Amino acid sequence: MVRATNEDHFAIMTIQKSVRLLATNLQDTTLLDGMGGPEVHIFVVADGIGGTAGGKVASGVAVRSVVEYLAEAVNCVQDFDIDREQIFLDILSTAVWRGHERLKKMFPAQGGPATTLTMTTLVWPRAYIIHAGDSRGYFLRKGALRQFTRDQTMGDDLVDRDAVTEQQARRAGWYNVLSSEVGGCLLPSVGLIDLAEGDTLLLCTDGLTKHVPDDRIAALLAAGSAESAAQSLIDAALEAGGHDNVTAVVARATRAT
Amino acid sequence: MIQKKVCMVGVYGTGKTSLVERYVHSIFSAKYHSTVGVKIDRKLVPIGDTTVNLLLWDIEGRSSKQDIPVSYLRGAHAVFFVVDGTRRETLEQLFDLARLTRSATGDVPSIVALNKADLRDQWVLAAADTKRLLAGGLHALNTSAKTGDGVEDAFLWLAKATLDASLAPDSQAKVSHED
Repeated sequence: MVRATNEDHFAIMTIQKSVRLLATNLQDTTLLDGMGGPEVHIFVVADGIGGTAGGKVASGVAVRSVVEYLAEAVNCVQDFDIDREQIFLDILSTAVWRGHERLKKMFPAQGGPATTLTMTTLVWPRAYIIHAGDSRGYFLRKGALRQFTRDQTMGDDLVDRDAVTEQQARRAGWYNVLSSEVGGCLLPSVGLIDLAEGDTLLLCTDGLTKHVPDDRIAALLAAGSAESAAQSLIDAALEAGGHDNVTAVVARATRAT
Repeated sequence: MIQKKVCMVGVYGTGKTSLVERYVHSIFSAKYHSTVGVKIDRKLVPIGDTTVNLLLWDIEGRSSKQDIPVSYLRGAHAVFFVVDGTRRETLEQLFDLARLTRSATGDVPSIVALNKADLRDQWVLAAADTKRLLAGGLHALNTSAKTGDGVEDAFLWLAKATLDASLAPDSQAKVSHED
């Protein structure tokens, strides 16, 4: 069964400030050296919660807020400088917080619609991560899949603190309750990883990870293009009986030609 | 407010993440999760009239044969080394890590947390080890992320050291972001 309403939203953006030489008969083209500027690629997935309609609104507001804020701050993003990367990270965090504040204003009552949000911003080779909830980020390197986000659920928190066992948490449904979410109680985790050529990046909602085990995800990510891998992952989740919305964003780091 | 980047460095499983979680969030998780890449937390530390905004870069622990990506260490104002007091090899490997780290960061304030001090019956370090670290210019302190013992002291010592370093007359070249 596939849900009629999609509570997931995603966005893939590229910000660039560059001069690209497409053709010339000049002998010396070194004048364009250093004018490439950094290319910034932004990937976001969000999975709304709080009833079908509310969840859809929440994830939409969160992703739209990120897109709008980064569009406003485009000059700051373009001026990325590795020595001032904390400022860059603060801009990315602010983009997420803006969505959170907007949702809080729209739904002031406690327990209103909220959403997970996992955002990866790639300024090669560094990927900056802002994450809330139980959507996930992975990267595949030389066949090995590594999850770079940790699920922020009550189940994970309670088991981590030895308050309950995994079995107790599962039975009580604590893994379905988020301990951090945009629009609810937001405690985003912030981090980064350096990617390498050939790595494949995956951001996905739990509609995938609840039904497809990691080894199968790794195999599907390794096969074919990024686009076909994304489709294969979604198909695998649906074939495995997934009835939740499934979103998978796949990007592969390849050498520009 | 003065912002300072502190890199947490140590072999895998020494308790870097647990120390940060204890210090920043006052929690301890007995379940081991290996860090992937870098996890960044912040903590505001009031020192006298100044507030130091510590940016804690919890860097993925490596095995002895793997180097830390130098790019993670770039711009660090201080280094918080972590040793597992129940695994002697983590101390021996620290000396190599410290050499590598210093080649990237320069001579910045550093501290070594001899962690897991609550596991007294498994403790393998002695006073001579602390002296050896000190001889290498590394101030060391026993800590326990589980009980919290020594954790606040270690981070506070480092925060003060970074503040002192930034107030020193020859610190102009060291960049720190002031709001």
